Amino acid sequence: MTVNQVSAALIGLVAVSAFAATWTFDPVPPGLPGLGAVEFPRLLCGLLLALALLLAFEKPKVVAPEDAEPPAPRIDARGWLIFACCLAFLPVMAVIGLLGACAVFLVVVGRLWGETRWFMLLAVAVGFTLSAWLVFIKIFRLTLPDGVVGQMLFGV
Amino acid sequence: MDAFLGGLAILTDPYVMLMVLLGTVLGIFVGALPGISGSTTIALLLPLTISMGPIPAICFLGAIYCAANFGGSITAIMVNAPGDPSASATALEGFKMAEKGQAGMALGMSAIASAIGGIFSVVVLIFAAPLLARAAYSFGPPEYFALALFGLSMCAAIGGDSPLKNLIAATLGLLIATVGMDLTTGVERYAFGVMELSDGIGFVPVLIGLFAVGEMLDQAARRAADAKIIALDAARVPGWPEMRKCNRAIWLGSAIGTFIGALPALGATTAALIGYNETRRWSKTPEEFGKGSIEGVAGPEAANNAAVGGSMVPTLALGIPGSATTAIILAGLIVQGVRPGPHLFTEQPTLLYAVFASMLAANVFYLVMGLTMAKFFARISLIPNAFLWPAVFALSVIGAYGPNQSVGDVMVMLVAGVLGFLFRRAGFSPAPLIMGLVLGAMVEETLKQSLIIFGDDLTGFLGRPIALVLMVVTLAGLALPLAGRLLRRKIVPGAAAG
Repeated sequence: MTVNQVSAALIGLVAVSAFAATWTFDPVPPGLPGLGAVEFPRLLCGLLLALALLLAFEKPKVVAPEDAEPPAPRIDARGWLIFACCLAFLPVMAVIGLLGACAVFLVVVGRLWGETRWFMLLAVAVGFTLSAWLVFIKIFRLTLPDGVVGQMLFGV
Repeated sequence: MDAFLGGLAILTDPYVMLMVLLGTVLGIFVGALPGISGSTTIALLLPLTISMGPIPAICFLGAIYCAANFGGSITAIMVNAPGDPSASATALEGFKMAEKGQAGMALGMSAIASAIGGIFSVVVLIFAAPLLARAAYSFGPPEYFALALFGLSMCAAIGGDSPLKNLIAATLGLLIATVGMDLTTGVERYAFGVMELSDGIGFVPVLIGLFAVGEMLDQAARRAADAKIIALDAARVPGWPEMRKCNRAIWLGSAIGTFIGALPALGATTAALIGYNETRRWSKTPEEFGKGSIEGVAGPEAANNAAVGGSMVPTLALGIPGSATTAIILAGLIVQGVRPGPHLFTEQPTLLYAVFASMLAANVFYLVMGLTMAKFFARISLIPNAFLWPAVFALSVIGAYGPNQSVGDVMVMLVAGVLGFLFRRAGFSPAPLIMGLVLGAMVEETLKQSLIIFGDDLTGFLGRPIALVLMVVTLAGLALPLAGRLLRRKIVPGAAAG
């Protein structure tokens, strides 16, 4: 299967699922003028399905070799680990707060990305976290999540 | 004329100029931060302006509004993370230019095009505000529906591998826009009992996820294979050859932005996306688009900043805000005892022209600052990827969380990030999805309102000349390239294969 056919299959699946989900919407009283709550999403699902079908049968564009994008490389183990770190950000944030999670993320992902100088990683993490605290909390008065540890330490 | 000269005279007042300068610096700074928009900043600083007096206060707020739009383009170009939603179109070509080592060129052109677009719209505003206001007032739901369709039809040409993929992305954006409560019937759609989804999917987290997080994941995946090297020529700013090349794009973007901005509820983001597409359509070198075209930076930047001036038309002349930011500025005017509306032109013309003059000054300030600091900002591209991209991700999380203080928005951003990554891998462009999301609510609401007006009779659109013209242009825009391709196949057998 080509990339277009895989994409078309996934988009078709989304369209069919979204169409099916419209049956779960609460009914509206009969007699209301104009479109109800389900017609527009159903119209879009139908359109999406039709476009997905066209995509599945679309001929791949012929591109001159010098203009062709290089094929996407396979994701290596460190790449997957970086993805995992992105997913782990929220659970870590719940424990040590948003700014704490940012600092840890910068060190761990920076290391996975290939930076070997620990002092640079720590300096960037500390500098970024302090700057973010100053700009977002002190100047713009945003309330960022403290996490369990922050609440224990500062009782916020 | 006396009022006009009286308005310009405020430019000699050091206090007012200081406020404009301060507003410009603040605007550039907050515009560059994802999640902190110009409207958030103006809302935060509104209480500070109460003691300033009407003219300095409005000049201060107007300067932030002008400069925040430009500031948004800095991070859009440097790290593909639009600081402001209106800079999403700039990211399409600007980031590619930065990758090619032309960050300074893109930033410099962004500053020049933004300033020209901003100044153009203010000049138009000075001379034609009452006329434009009347024209905008004649737009009803059918006209807005036709305009939104026109905007969506343009998605076919924005980036990506094929028009079909762009249309799919735009339809997906429209579908995402239906999540949450339907405003007409009160029925919850696709919320599945999740409270965060009842209010709909936030625009900012999707934008940050698709662009910034999607790019970060893509960079992480390529990290070992072909980490993109940024050339040291990054600090070069545009010269006359680039200006000549972008001349048409800048004026086209300025005209589009001023018109779109003057329409209530259509903001700088729509103007920028339409500006990008029209720039590509009328470019002499359309093949450069998608690979880092400087015209692709100039067009949308001129359009989104021209929309700033344009959006002041309904705000000042009708008292109807043209965007979220102008709604807050409107509140600021009212707090200062100024009643926006048609009578403003007769009762307080000096104040009105003072606002225009301050906007002109803000545009000149950020042009100077943008060109001076382009070399400095361009050095962001020299930061090693191991520091840059993790910081972009961390900033994205703060940006997504910030506006609503919601962890749900961070989750939406992560999902959008994965979608953005998959889009890149499969050759889809994220820009049409954003356009679908932006225009989704308007398409549905105006279609419903139009059908109620026409008594469920679609032929009612035929009786609305503006809507009809827009629909014909939309159909022609979609059908003509297809017809042209078919014709070429007939005339030159085998051309299709090429």
